[in-house]
Amino acid sequence: MAFDFPSEEWTQAYFNAINSDPNYKEAGKTWTYGALAFVVSKEPSIGLAEEKAFILDLHQGVCRKAWISNLEEAQKQPFVITGTYAQWKAVMKKELDPIKGMMQGKLKLKGNLPIIVKHVKAAQVLVENCSKVPTRFLDEK
Amino acid sequence: MDYGADLGFTFVHTPKVVFGENALAEVGALLADLGASRALLVTDRFLAEKTDLLTRLRKAAAGRIAGEFLDVVPDPTAESIDRAAELGKSVGADAVVSLGGGSAIDTGKGLAVVLTEGGKVLDHEGYHALPRPLIPHLAIPTTAGTGSEMTMVTVITDPARGQKTFIGSYFLHPNVAVLDPTCTRNLPPLLTAATGMDAMAHAVEALISTLRQPFSDACALAAIRSVMTFLPRSVSDGTDMVARGQMLIAAAQAGSAFSNAMVSLNHAMVHSLGARFHKHHGTLNAVLLPHTMRFFAPDVGERFVWVAQAMGVSASAADPVAAGLAAADRMAKLNSEIGLPSRLSELGIPREALGEVAELSLSDGSIIYSPRPIMDAAEVLSVLERAY
Repeated sequence: MAFDFPSEEWTQAYFNAINSDPNYKEAGKTWTYGALAFVVSKEPSIGLAEEKAFILDLHQGVCRKAWISNLEEAQKQPFVITGTYAQWKAVMKKELDPIKGMMQGKLKLKGNLPIIVKHVKAAQVLVENCSKVPTRFLDEK
Repeated sequence: MDYGADLGFTFVHTPKVVFGENALAEVGALLADLGASRALLVTDRFLAEKTDLLTRLRKAAAGRIAGEFLDVVPDPTAESIDRAAELGKSVGADAVVSLGGGSAIDTGKGLAVVLTEGGKVLDHEGYHALPRPLIPHLAIPTTAGTGSEMTMVTVITDPARGQKTFIGSYFLHPNVAVLDPTCTRNLPPLLTAATGMDAMAHAVEALISTLRQPFSDACALAAIRSVMTFLPRSVSDGTDMVARGQMLIAAAQAGSAFSNAMVSLNHAMVHSLGARFHKHHGTLNAVLLPHTMRFFAPDVGERFVWVAQAMGVSASAADPVAAGLAAADRMAKLNSEIGLPSRLSELGIPREALGEVAELSLSDGSIIYSPRPIMDAAEVLSVLERAY
């Protein structure tokens, strides 16, 4: 069964994928810097009237909580990464490396960049997990 | 040409570059073009008190400088930028003029952020998160090396967290870079050599980075050619304004190259050694660069053939590894010709610290752009050991 991206169901499936992956336990074990919020820019043409965010509370190789939220709550997190629907889709399909995407301005980061790039392996595993979630994209409906 | 159908890139080159001996005299007109009448000048005490640059700049600005912040510090701190911003607000600054090396220009970039967006500078840490263009920034480099006048990043030290952080945005590029060779005339030979080799490292690393692209390649190769010819001349005769000028251009070209293509392992090691032992950034780049080139010689195909040719080294495309090794040897010889050390041991760095430096380098952001993935500290250590 595929889940709409972004949605609460998709976020919970992602949460499960992260926590069932021993690679993330290892790669993310030095992450102690708080939650990451991933913001999808609004795009009314595909049904996203407002920005949507999914937030991952990551700590030492474990995702403690994951939830779908809004822009206001996302902006309170220590790291906020914003992209268009197409850019997030490219990340999930492993067509866009998220760190390189940030450096090239395709994704916008609010937060401490060196901390993010120091955890490049963890970022790669998170993308790997993300790509494992059966996903139905809004622009393909 | 080693690009294929998957080539895709963004190249941004924002500053208007104004070059020429005594280009400093154009600052007033350039500020007027930017619509600025109350600029805040940022520089350091040495340049303000020991050179004639501030006097010349004041005259050139023709009353368009409303305040002067003379307390730029090396490795600019958030606190120093916020202090400059307070001064800027108090005088109603509508533009920034930065005069100095990378620290002054980075301070100017942070200042432009705060004067545009408000708050404190650390409120804006992030990459491509600034929402709008900043107030105008005119940068005047007094060294030929960092290329900061061409880049979209400012590095800020936050002593409270014991960290360096970044603000990166296309809006952070200075609007104008004034490249005036007379502004670098006071730089002593050793600093001229070391800063020049920083530019060389920017160029070589941009050429082999995973984000390399045709526009940054062109800038980098031009910079390498110029450094080979004009750095030895600038070092041996600091009053040679032709050489000084060509070095300023080379540093700006290398800055534009690495602002788009990034740097890699060499700078990762330099950042780590610099953080641990506070040695000069350019000198560390110079010492390590030949060793980094030998390390990557098997990995970068024809790239080092181009580098060798730009350096005036005979190189055949049929044997790119040999070309890389020959270019590395020439790089080491250049260091020697301009009076720079060739070994880390000469800089007073203890050998037993190299393992720690290798680990630290592995977590430096630059390393991810290396031409092949470096995941093992032992690989970094092997380069450091050879450079020792």
